[in-house]
Amino acid sequence: MIKKILIGIIAGFISGLFAAGGGMIVVPAFVHMFKMDEAEARATCIFAILPMVIASGLFYYANDYIDWNIGIKCAIGGIIGGVLGAKLLKKLSDKILKIIFIIFLGYVSVKMII
Amino acid sequence: MLEFLTGIISGIISGTGMGGGTVLILILSVFMGIDQHIAQATNLVFFIPTSISAIVTTIKEKLINWKVGVPVAISGIIGAIIGAKISVNMDVKHLKKYFGYFLILITIFEIYSLIKTYKKDYKTNNNVKEKL
Repeated sequence: MIKKILIGIIAGFISGLFAAGGGMIVVPAFVHMFKMDEAEARATCIFAILPMVIASGLFYYANDYIDWNIGIKCAIGGIIGGVLGAKLLKKLSDKILKIIFIIFLGYVSVKMII
Repeated sequence: MLEFLTGIISGIISGTGMGGGTVLILILSVFMGIDQHIAQATNLVFFIPTSISAIVTTIKEKLINWKVGVPVAISGIIGAIIGAKISVNMDVKHLKKYFGYFLILITIFEIYSLIKTYKKDYKTNNNVKEKL
């Protein structure tokens, strides 16, 4: 139980602070600590993170940080991307995607700090 | 138009479980010059409809582990309130910097997990060869 609460608090804190990245902590934690398979871990992660996102969203909303124009456009694109992704993923190698993702992250994180 | 495209890219990446939200925030803030707080809030708006549709599907497929998911979700709300309170009161410069540090950690972790899967594949390949 302590493990679950700790994972929740850490993931929630990251989700609130950065509004992203909670899943990158929760999914590996579920796989390694609770021996879930990838699909179960991802499904449980999304379920667990939704209330965290709603809670932090209220704070961002109260501070006027939500730009609905950008948000809705991105969300519509996101739904299309989700459908496309499901089809593309079967064709693209996971490893190649991961390498592209790592290069992108490395480049951008350095850019953000400097 | 750029916003749609950003959404599409992030949606595709979300499907891989590699952090579509992170990519969304990064494109908005680093490449489009949108304020970090607004970029982050956009990801929250982005996450809600996409995640609800995913949750509905995974409930039907019985993929959600409730025994772990419910306590993590509840304690997560507490963490989220603390994190969001700090975030909205932090100035943009600092927030961006901390986000950058966090991303470096994620990058290192991703490289580590990539190497691990390579090693595992290598091992299983060798085992197969030995058996042959």
